[in-house]
Amino acid sequence: MSVTRRIALTVNGERHEADVEVRKTLVDFLRGDLALTGTHVGCEHGVCGACTVLWNGRAVRSCIMLAVQADGAELKTVEGLADGATLHPIQQAFLEKHGLQCGFCTPGFLMSIYELLTRDSAPSDEDITDTLGGHICRCTGYQTIVEAVHLAVEKMRTK
Amino acid sequence: MTGHDDIPKTLAGLPNSAPRYIGQPIERIEDPSLLTGQTEFIDNVVLPRMLHCAILRSPHAHARILSVDVSEAEKLPGVFAVITGEDAKRWSNPTMTVPPGWGTHCLATDKARFVGEPVAAVAAISRYVAEDALELIGVEYETLPAVADARKALDADSPLLFEEHGHNVMLQKVFTWGEVDAAFAHAAHVVQQTFRWNRLGANPLETFGVISQWDLVEGSLTCRGSFQAQGHFAMARAMVFNLPLNKVRFISQPHGGSFGGKGGARGTDITALLSRKAGGRPVKWIEDRMEYLAGGASQAWDRHYDAALALDADGKVTGFRVKLLDDLGATAEGWGAVSAAKPLTNFTGCYTIPAAQYDLTIVATNKLPGSPYRGMGPPPHNWVLEQLMDLAARKLGLDPTEIRRRNFIPPDAFPYTIASGNEYDSGDYRATLETALEMADYPALRAEQARARAEGRYLGIGVVNTIEPGVFDWNAYAIVGQPGTGVPEGCTIGIDLFGKLTIRVGFSLEGQGQYTVAAQVLADWFKIDIADVRVVALDTLSAPPHFGPGGSRLGVALTGAVLGAAHRLTQKLIAVAAVLFQTTPEYVELRDGMIGVKGMAEAQMPFQQVAQTMLARSDLLPPGVDPNPEATYVWTAAGRTPADDQGRAKSYLTAANACHVVLLEVDIETAQVHIEKYWIADDCGTRLNPANVEGQTQGGVAQGVGAALLEEAVYDEDAQLRTSTFMDYLLPTIYEVPMTEKRALCTPSPFTPLGAKGCGEGAMHTTPAAILCAINDALVPLGVQLFEIPASPQRIWTLLQSR
Amino acid sequence: MKPPLFDYATPATLAEATALLVHYDGEAKLLSGGQSLVPLLNMRLARPAMVVDLARIPDLDYVRADGDGFAIGGMTRQRSVEMSAEVRAQHPLLFAGMQLIAHPQNRNQGTVGGSLAHADPAAELPAMALALDATFQATGPDGVRTITAADFFLTYLTTSLEPAEILTAVRFPTLPARTGWSILEVARRHGDFGLAGVVAIVGLGADGRVASTRLVLFGVGATPIRAQGAEGLLVGHTAEPALFADVATRAAADLDEPLTDVHASADYRRDLARVLSVRALTEATTRARAA
Repeated sequence: MSVTRRIALTVNGERHEADVEVRKTLVDFLRGDLALTGTHVGCEHGVCGACTVLWNGRAVRSCIMLAVQADGAELKTVEGLADGATLHPIQQAFLEKHGLQCGFCTPGFLMSIYELLTRDSAPSDEDITDTLGGHICRCTGYQTIVEAVHLAVEKMRTK
Repeated sequence: MTGHDDIPKTLAGLPNSAPRYIGQPIERIEDPSLLTGQTEFIDNVVLPRMLHCAILRSPHAHARILSVDVSEAEKLPGVFAVITGEDAKRWSNPTMTVPPGWGTHCLATDKARFVGEPVAAVAAISRYVAEDALELIGVEYETLPAVADARKALDADSPLLFEEHGHNVMLQKVFTWGEVDAAFAHAAHVVQQTFRWNRLGANPLETFGVISQWDLVEGSLTCRGSFQAQGHFAMARAMVFNLPLNKVRFISQPHGGSFGGKGGARGTDITALLSRKAGGRPVKWIEDRMEYLAGGASQAWDRHYDAALALDADGKVTGFRVKLLDDLGATAEGWGAVSAAKPLTNFTGCYTIPAAQYDLTIVATNKLPGSPYRGMGPPPHNWVLEQLMDLAARKLGLDPTEIRRRNFIPPDAFPYTIASGNEYDSGDYRATLETALEMADYPALRAEQARARAEGRYLGIGVVNTIEPGVFDWNAYAIVGQPGTGVPEGCTIGIDLFGKLTIRVGFSLEGQGQYTVAAQVLADWFKIDIADVRVVALDTLSAPPHFGPGGSRLGVALTGAVLGAAHRLTQKLIAVAAVLFQTTPEYVELRDGMIGVKGMAEAQMPFQQVAQTMLARSDLLPPGVDPNPEATYVWTAAGRTPADDQGRAKSYLTAANACHVVLLEVDIETAQVHIEKYWIADDCGTRLNPANVEGQTQGGVAQGVGAALLEEAVYDEDAQLRTSTFMDYLLPTIYEVPMTEKRALCTPSPFTPLGAKGCGEGAMHTTPAAILCAINDALVPLGVQLFEIPASPQRIWTLLQSR
Repeated sequence: MKPPLFDYATPATLAEATALLVHYDGEAKLLSGGQSLVPLLNMRLARPAMVVDLARIPDLDYVRADGDGFAIGGMTRQRSVEMSAEVRAQHPLLFAGMQLIAHPQNRNQGTVGGSLAHADPAAELPAMALALDATFQATGPDGVRTITAADFFLTYLTTSLEPAEILTAVRFPTLPARTGWSILEVARRHGDFGLAGVVAIVGLGADGRVASTRLVLFGVGATPIRAQGAEGLLVGHTAEPALFADVATRAAADLDEPLTDVHASADYRRDLARVLSVRALTEATTRARAA
């Protein structure tokens, strides 16, 4: 009954090939098959944003994508942000601004902000709100996240 | 060896002339791991031979279970165990409840009492296969009439949740404090109003998860999971499974938020039973979001209020009556009833109200059992009190800020015992109010409001003052049947051979930054770099007595535990050092990270060196000293008293206070509310890490906005849940949550370590009231008022149509 | 919340795709962006025997300006339309409407064709298509045909696409000179489906009177609804507040009973349609005068 497909994809620069059940969601594949557990599952219906990853450079919700849809794709997850022991400027900004509390939603936020700041080095407040609006954080009330984005913009500009 | 007296109540009491960390908004030590996705949340944990659980849930609000046929499910390849209520009856007891006697087994046995109640469960090779198997289970139900309305549940002909009780009333009692009847009889003014607070709840971004494993040979149970209070859940499982407590081991993983309800008794028990049936293989269950919304710890505070204030001619409040009908749902398993008791800790708010009465009825209906949620009972209670204060001000022609000024407990009256028995430690409520008004430029706001009204726009201003009781105590919940006084919180501090320090605690990460606070305190005690301190979580069998986060308590309690343990450890080091310095301990001290002889600046050595000596040079140890540079201290609040027959006790140790000012606009055509600006003045005593405090405050505002405007678990009259996804249960996003301007005041607690107060719930205590008061302020010229929460656009529109 | 078992195919051509639809005879589901389908799979509310993924079929992902309109491939991500500088410059209504669709993370994955074929009556794209007289290109086993927007939306989540047809492209005309637009909605939160929404287009003649108009209401019926009776009150008259109130009242009154759900009653939705119609006509007229 169970149908599988062979897929090949690149995640954080590393190429993977795997036989995957066609019904498996992308987030379950990343977490279960590739052990990239930094991407979290919050709602499994595409609302909360905790599972956000970059799919060919664009932030998408990996809980409502099938793993087979990612065949041939280039993905980036939270594990691909830091450079060894050095946090990415966005991560560093979150650290400095207390942009997280429980940290469960944070990897999703980081990936969406990464997409925004790699596309636009000086985003408007509206663009920042638009980007963050697709994520739910239950702890922080968003204020320090916004501050972290502004600090990350600065850090990436001077980098 | 040492008691509370050795725990400094101010920074000056530390053996450090220049503390670097306490009071500073330092970066959190837990964050690098979280930011890189390395923190081990429960769903990241994979154990050998682990199976995955899925749970079949009742689609009916009330139904007799005639039969459950699992034979087809058991045949599905990849399925290793299927359990039903029969297994639960054979191998477990009904869970304990508060009030007692209103609980069930983890799987429905005779009947299902709410939509989403577990009926059967499967352990399979994957969650996908487990869910496939659920579809092969046949359940024969006989549906029964359901009751969804607490008022109807009181009727003599209501369907009964537990037939053996003969009624649905879990608890009914009237508590009277002072001469309430006289206050109302002699009042110059009385304001009375009914209020409706609808169900809502915690919704941490991580749902609950657990991996349970029976050791069939040893007869023991190990559970890993996102438990807010691991020891509490371990104790309850020991009772459910008739196990000695030392055969139950709970390991709390870091969790993605909790806000009161995380722990999942049913899921833990179900996975435990599945593991037992599957021959001891570990079984993982990760609650999905729809399970959480229908069957998890997602709902709190389903309340009908009828409340009144008595006032004298000058606007002094002389009496406060609250009649509460609290709908706890199908059972009392979720500890939601304690939320009805907690308002005793701040019943009369910031005010000198001498007499009060609480007429409390807790009733069962065919809805999800209620759970605790951030702030516990006071968010609805404070809304009722603060809205009544506004109504009274309007009746007396006073500004809402003026009526508050006339009733504040004065700063020289502390410690102050309120009518319902709790003691407030300290505060200056007037100063908090004036600070907030100054930040907001209150007169300018009123002028802006007047201008807008001239243009046909409806701005509302809310000004609300509240108390945040901090450092919870079980005795506060005595009226609903919770035993106990005191909540021990311990830690062990050790110095290793390389001179680094470890703090071992009995709780895991949850988001409040507690590990950072512990490290800050210890680093400043020994005057070391915070990077030299590590904090690790122990399981229930290895940690000292503990509870973990809850009731705005842990920051204070943990600080006490760390300071107490640090003091004890210091005494040990001093005893050893005295031998090395060839003197006696009373002449040796810890000063700025050095252990030295008093009055002899050159006679000293780094404290780490003393510890290393203990570990590596047993020959130098004095008699009676073991080679163990470690110390444990278990802190609990001093001076707590058991509750009397009216529920009165010294319970929560601290009383923080805050004033929130909000400016919002009601679009009277679309019925939408837009928050324009938000100011907060907050006094929670000494701020151990101000950035942590601000984060707690802003996060509480967000949840308060959700409560005020968005969040509602809706049941229809047949008790079917209509908000089963995040498309319908609406959490606030950045578009709805205001960025706030905050200012800190500091009235240190005279009773706590370093003068800190509980600060985790205050904004949630205040924001819903501030927003609702502001909405009603906006609506005054339209002649309508809203007394139901959330203030959804539908409710506001309906109200506006009624004009 | 894990999908049930199904089979999965990635046809390389439209012919293969339609052949699969024919073969599975109603038991196959097309997967484009998946923003609606995959949640339904996770909830096991959709239970197709076969999921046909259109992502590997070439030439379905484009935004092409053709002088007086934009032709957009069915598999074009909503975000690609939003990010198109040409769309932004030449079709501000389409641009504004895109920004109201959920959130960037959804628009990065969700497609134009997927949203239109899904035909949620509260969605923005169907309403814009109806207001703009968009044309739909459907490819089926018997070839390609064109469907007008007026004929496309039949009822709740139902279009005039045949079971084996695929929406391969849609063309949105741009607005002519002296024509203004507005798209407004009231949602519980930004990005949610609107409780009610309005697309208004107002074209002014040389005499300053309304020469042409479109008023489309969404979220208040089984499909997006063109308020033709109300439009009739506007054409030939001077656009002014009193008239907008009458037009909006008529538009709301002409609605069949709107949906009632946990967020809004039928009456509230109807009233929102009225309020938003006034505001949208006002805004569209202001833009027309400036255009």
